[in-house]
Amino acid sequence: MSALAAARQLLADAIGLDDSAIPGDARIGSFERWDSLAHMRLLSAVEERLGHQLDPDDITRIESLSDIEAVLQAAGVE
Amino acid sequence: MSDDGVLARGRPVLIETERFNLRSLKPIDASERWLGWLKDPEVVHPTNAPVRHLSREQLSRYIAGFDNNHNYLIGIFDKKSRIQVGFFYIDVDTAHDTATFNVIIGEKSWWGKSVVNEVRAPLLDYFFDRLGMAKICGGPLSRNFPAIFNYKAQGWIYEGTLQGQFKSVVDGSRLDQLRFRLFADEWRTIRQKGKPQ
Repeated sequence: MSALAAARQLLADAIGLDDSAIPGDARIGSFERWDSLAHMRLLSAVEERLGHQLDPDDITRIESLSDIEAVLQAAGVE
Repeated sequence: MSDDGVLARGRPVLIETERFNLRSLKPIDASERWLGWLKDPEVVHPTNAPVRHLSREQLSRYIAGFDNNHNYLIGIFDKKSRIQVGFFYIDVDTAHDTATFNVIIGEKSWWGKSVVNEVRAPLLDYFFDRLGMAKICGGPLSRNFPAIFNYKAQGWIYEGTLQGQFKSVVDGSRLDQLRFRLFADEWRTIRQKGKPQ
């Protein structure tokens, strides 16, 4: 699974939607279903996927689907 | 009020939003509901506050310590039920026209329902435009993901991380604190762009 596909799946699971319902430009503040509790579930799921806690820079960096993808890529998820 | 529209400080805050009324709290607002929040680890630990078993009198005295000048304690009340769902505590540095916002939503049934940014937006207007603040800051812990979401969704600027700033009340470990800020012109730009909250 590519980093983008993994990111989309993690966000979809956090929001409770099918991954096909996640727009490519999904972003905090413009994608209504991405709320504070979904964000908590998302970051926890990203940490579980990576096997370690995110550092504060990554925590503050994640505000879009592409940001999730970038964090996964940086951790070696292809 | 001065010529530039800045209010004299010390006045209680009274603000209405679509779903909530905000007002400066009074000692009589000490309630069993609020005391229950202070006893609930899920409510207090995200801000690294300890669980407290206070009496109503102790809570009343705490509320009485806010002067609507150097510090504010502002309740968030659901318009429909009139129930208090949370509160802001705000520290003001009157010498430098800066303020630090903190917020707790005690009623869990309101979590994830965009309360914070709905009520914080008019509070930011009030503190910038009516009280003349130049800069407002927020400092969530790095593990308080819902709070961080709210800062980002509202357009606050991440300034940096204070590493190991606090000792955890839960396990004694060191906790990182993030710093977010808004200058008055940054907030006005966000408002002009019509960002939702």
